[in-house]
Amino acid sequence: MLMWEFIIPLMAAAVQSGTPILYATLGEMMTEKGGVLNLGVEGIMAVAALAAFVTSFATGSPWLAFLAGGTAGLAFASLHAFVCITCLGNQVVSGLALTILGLGVSTFLGVPYVGLAAPGFDPFAFPLLSSIPVLGDIFFRQDMLVYISFVIPFFFWFFFRRTSLGLHVAATGEMPAAAAAAGLKPVALRYFAVLTGGFLIGLGGAYLSLAYTHLWTNGLSGGRGWIAVALVIFAFWRPGRAVIGAYLFGGVMAFQLRLQAMGTHIPSSLLLMLPYLLTILVLILSAWRGRRIDAPAALGTNIEPEA
Amino acid sequence: MSELRYVRPARVRPLPEGAVPVVRLKEVTKRFGKVVANNAITLDIHSGRIKALLGENGAGKSTLMSMLAGRYKPDSGTMEVDGRPVRFESSKDAIAAGIGMVYQNFMLVDSMTVAENVLLGQEGGFFINPGEMEARVDALATEYGLAVDVSARISDLSMGERQLVEILKLLYRKSRILIFDEPTAVLTPEETNRLFEALWRMTEQGKSVIFISHKLEEVIALADEIAILRRGRIEGELDPTAIESKAELASRMVGKEVLLEVDRQPVEVGEPVLEIKGMTGLGLTDVNLEVRQGEIVAVVGVAGNGQKELVEAVTGLVKPPVDTVFIMGQPWRKFFAESTWNRSMCYIPEDRLGLATMRNQNLVDNLLLTTRKGFARGMWLDKRRAERDTEELIRKYDIRPGRIHALAWQLSGGNLQKAVLARELYRQPRFIVAEQPTQGLDVSATEEVWRRLLDARAMAGVLLVTGDLGEALQLADRIAVMYRGRILGMLPTSEAETASRIGPLMAGVLD
Repeated sequence: MLMWEFIIPLMAAAVQSGTPILYATLGEMMTEKGGVLNLGVEGIMAVAALAAFVTSFATGSPWLAFLAGGTAGLAFASLHAFVCITCLGNQVVSGLALTILGLGVSTFLGVPYVGLAAPGFDPFAFPLLSSIPVLGDIFFRQDMLVYISFVIPFFFWFFFRRTSLGLHVAATGEMPAAAAAAGLKPVALRYFAVLTGGFLIGLGGAYLSLAYTHLWTNGLSGGRGWIAVALVIFAFWRPGRAVIGAYLFGGVMAFQLRLQAMGTHIPSSLLLMLPYLLTILVLILSAWRGRRIDAPAALGTNIEPEA
Repeated sequence: MSELRYVRPARVRPLPEGAVPVVRLKEVTKRFGKVVANNAITLDIHSGRIKALLGENGAGKSTLMSMLAGRYKPDSGTMEVDGRPVRFESSKDAIAAGIGMVYQNFMLVDSMTVAENVLLGQEGGFFINPGEMEARVDALATEYGLAVDVSARISDLSMGERQLVEILKLLYRKSRILIFDEPTAVLTPEETNRLFEALWRMTEQGKSVIFISHKLEEVIALADEIAILRRGRIEGELDPTAIESKAELASRMVGKEVLLEVDRQPVEVGEPVLEIKGMTGLGLTDVNLEVRQGEIVAVVGVAGNGQKELVEAVTGLVKPPVDTVFIMGQPWRKFFAESTWNRSMCYIPEDRLGLATMRNQNLVDNLLLTTRKGFARGMWLDKRRAERDTEELIRKYDIRPGRIHALAWQLSGGNLQKAVLARELYRQPRFIVAEQPTQGLDVSATEEVWRRLLDARAMAGVLLVTGDLGEALQLADRIAVMYRGRILGMLPTSEAETASRIGPLMAGVLD
């Protein structure tokens, strides 16, 4: 009874609300693998969510809108890439500026669209797979963008373990000097990592306005970008763990919504804190396990031109 | 020459008649601003032979080889490879011409495997297969008899193994001329032996090796030919088998008769400044040691036998067991609680650019690092006075470049060590802990450091931790030999048989 009415719907909701976080986490992970820290995830998601919504509203094509979200993410991340990689600016400052800018821009440009709806993606039962008991109900009665997010971690893994480009990107994130000595172009590789990462983060933003809701409201990103930054650490820069982390957070978000809907006596502001409380717990846990060493060694440092 | 640690398999490899050099440098000159780093250098490199470039720090060895490796371009003169003149625009061109260089700091990605590092940028396709990559590198390593686990991560390897990986990188890129810049600086004696064997094996397969060093003993043992560089010029080329003594080679390298021996007058011994009483723990077992003012006590041993732990416990980097370490008569905890900036303890660490100085700060700030209390007025720092004092120290210790705003990393090893020494002696210490104080320094800088340490005995007692037996015998009054965390013997240098007793003790042999 409890199982069918509460737990399974909750887990399905966890997958759904975890999906934008998963896209963003993988995007940030890609960026960091190349050695660049991008704290602008929250801002990139907000801008991409608006770009996707406006595209869908104007053209009526959710697929075009999804791509537009990714492209907007890529374009916005290219600002960060230019500041950090070309101008050797401080990565933390640039990322924070990007977040503030992104939130401001999306709120300002989104004013005419507040409360409007646009076509998006709706859940459907995936043929065959949705009839698997329990798992089918949780994973395969979702929308198309969720299904796409299932395969990205595999691509991610394959890219870094089985392609030379992935090896080059990772080498650049670990030791740009060694990559340069091997005849690679660390600057170009870092651009690649930041732009690809920005595209993935943008897809996460697009999910918010195309599938999570079909409406435009202010503050749609709702702190998910920050959670993604923390999740990269929690995941020790591994895509498989990113999936677990994203669904865990999705679950907490969905759970607090449900608790509120059920009318508990716990104040809603306390419930809203739950995901961030979990963020802090997760960071403490990963620090406690001493796995910070899994971070790309050159993360956050710029490539100084040779003196 | 019987005391050499390294023995070459074939003592003489004469150059065949009419051999054509693979690389020919003709009148190569390189200037940096007004400084002439290399002045009309002419040098031949032959295949299948090891050429040593011997010279002091700053003699121009690395500059010369960096030009050959494509990092710098010569201002004038020509370089020929296989009889054809070449101009390298980048190190890529040099690699394409078959010239590869192993730099002092390795260019390896720690978190990746040996195979990935060797093949980085040379994978040969978009899709890669770790198993196939490892097989490829393993075949290469076997071909040259280099024993290294190709699937191991670099972070799990010793310095010697990492160097093998650098060599594999060059071999994979079909380098025929391999340049090594001070390759033994980071190696243990055993690893050095293994490196030398690898180098010999490579020359037997027709490779040319250029070995940059300032260690006389290694050069004599390894090289087929020795070229001495001094102040940017070739001072002479000689045959290692014709060398009479190390002193002769040293004097040609430095240009003046250096006495690798210093005159050590005994100083009146005063109060104990360090007492270690029955310390067990931190990897040490029942260590007893006393250092008095006016004497130098050396701690020697193969690296990793507890010297580091001992230094850390004495200098306050880790907490020793209670009531085992007494500094200037006070228990450890009390000493560090009440420690003052001067007339106290100072530490000259082995890691000059990490622990001793801040690499991106200038000499004034680096001076203030341990002496700031001497320049404090309430909560303010008297920076102007610090600058004046830094200038004076630069003059007194002849630290180059002689600018107070030079950053730590811009100084050569010898000058940086002089700066550290100047700072620490400025504190007028009563107890000095010096860890490998002359490692990597050239002869004249070594001499300077030795003299300063001997002079410091007037006010202080010195604990000298060194891997250089010659240094210990020259400077110390007593030598403690460490083996597996124990002090196996405390030998006075005044006794003649001490020198011969150290070796067996270092190996753990108690008569």
